[in-house]
Amino acid sequence: MTLLKREEWQGIVRDVDWTFGYVDDDAVYPDWQSGTGKIPREAWSKWEESYKVSYPDYVATQREKESSAYAVKAALQRSRTFETLDEGWKSATKMHFGGVSLVEYAGLLGELKMARFGLSPAWRNMAVFGALDEMRHAQITLFFGHEFVAKDPQYDWSQKAFHTNDWASISLRTLFDGMVIGPDVVDLAIQLPMTFETGFTNLQFVALSSDALEAGDINFANMISSIQTDEARHAQQGGPTLELLVEHDPVRAQWTIDKYFWFSARAFAALTGPVMDYYTPVEHRRQSYREFMEEWIIDQFVRTLQDYGLRRPWYWDEFMQGLDTWHHSLHLGFWNYRPTIWWKPAGGVDAESREWLREKYPDWDKFYLDKWTVIAENINAGNIEATLPETLPWLCSMCHLPNINPVYGRDGKWKTRNYPLKHNGTTYYFCTKGCRQIWWEDRDAVNHATVVDRFLAGEIQPMDLPGVLGWMGLTPEVMGDDAHGYAWAKSFADPRATGSGLLVGAR
Amino acid sequence: MDNPVGPILRMCDEVDLIAAAIEDDNPGREIAVIDRGSYVRIHASGHLRVTAGSLKRHLGETFEIRSLEAIMSSFSGRIHTTSDSVEWSLGARPAAQEPVG
Repeated sequence: MTLLKREEWQGIVRDVDWTFGYVDDDAVYPDWQSGTGKIPREAWSKWEESYKVSYPDYVATQREKESSAYAVKAALQRSRTFETLDEGWKSATKMHFGGVSLVEYAGLLGELKMARFGLSPAWRNMAVFGALDEMRHAQITLFFGHEFVAKDPQYDWSQKAFHTNDWASISLRTLFDGMVIGPDVVDLAIQLPMTFETGFTNLQFVALSSDALEAGDINFANMISSIQTDEARHAQQGGPTLELLVEHDPVRAQWTIDKYFWFSARAFAALTGPVMDYYTPVEHRRQSYREFMEEWIIDQFVRTLQDYGLRRPWYWDEFMQGLDTWHHSLHLGFWNYRPTIWWKPAGGVDAESREWLREKYPDWDKFYLDKWTVIAENINAGNIEATLPETLPWLCSMCHLPNINPVYGRDGKWKTRNYPLKHNGTTYYFCTKGCRQIWWEDRDAVNHATVVDRFLAGEIQPMDLPGVLGWMGLTPEVMGDDAHGYAWAKSFADPRATGSGLLVGAR
Repeated sequence: MDNPVGPILRMCDEVDLIAAAIEDDNPGREIAVIDRGSYVRIHASGHLRVTAGSLKRHLGETFEIRSLEAIMSSFSGRIHTTSDSVEWSLGARPAAQEPVG
């Protein structure tokens, strides 16, 4: 029997839609959920996905993907691969499992919302596949992380992290509540499938797989690149939605993209940047974070946005400058605040790594060498205590990441600026001009209180660092510490090691 | 290369065979293959396509074009899929235009 080709029958089964007789269209598709705004209701009939899939094809292909991912896992589970992985790399995976698994579940809720409230039957159909995809991602990520719980209790945070008040988790929840849980489905489609999945997730799921493979973690490389094959398909809900929005409301299209491009850039500077430039052992790094950002975002994704008739975001210069500082500062912050995270950050600044950092980031010495030198000096003097936090960092009221981006003042001195804004009698502080601007434009939106806001409001008791750690859910066996027992600091003890004039040995 | 478009394939045995199928389907075109270990970019300027026929010729009669999805982690440009081919290009596609397999 010859089967009909998909295009000969798909339109009939896909386009299930009807005119309501007993209720208004508005009651079924209220604007606060369906979000059509200036796009005329009838324009949605033009929505057409370019990456098509039928249900039989979906099931067959997903089965192949799952069989392949689990077969690799089963084979490697019997090997001693895990024991041979570098501790810094293992932390890259702990960060991923804890930071991503339940975010995938948030993605599922977003897909279901589009499957219910999208104004085109073709879109609703595609979102159902997206929901099945995200269910797979949450499950596979939890399951792969769970394998290691018996070997290392930090892996327990694969499941736990998102449920805690850890500051990194609050930052993530803030991002995804704004991107996925809160918005109507048009904004959601621009924010999640278009900006986050067509653009940024490629960094963590494809680019990082290349470091994973070099680091010997075949299982992880296989899992993340398999996940992204689903994303590549369901992310295509973004394109047709963006086309309609650009046609009927270009200002909203540009603003929504700009906003989530910015938030994504901040989030991936925290999630992917430290992993690529510090946690992956230097000999296993395929490219720097900046080079991967140039390949995937500045080249590939921005070209896609321009292809849809959009401009570069208004903050372009600040974003580009941030490629040389944001993730380096966040790495320093994670390392310094290591008891507050569920992984063991690698220092990643031994002599060989510093050479690599200088080559990739010519300004690295200028901004960061003196900080790491002081830390190393304390470590080498046996004073680890001095390298641990005593209080909370000031967190950005928009992205909830610490305000630690360095700039050079006119006096030639390094400083960390915060960007304050007074509103209704309260002064808010931001990490960047971009975060401040977005917060101001969206000032009526519901924002999470930062950990610092909660601390000052007396929500965290007792009001000291142990109190904060307890409130964040961290227990002694999970709190992070240096991945390599501070071995990197020894390279600073040799006055010839840095050539910077800031040497411990020279003092 | 200006405006590179095309698939980004994940680590698997079939990458070279898919690249060969793409070469067949885009005769005379400059095709860049960029190998980053766990992923490989196969790009051409402005437009690239692969057909079910070429895939079967290189990967075997049982290979179905839908299975390309399991290998393709990402792509550059806009995609257009049918039962007979997958194309990558830039710019909006007129609604009535269907590719010839």
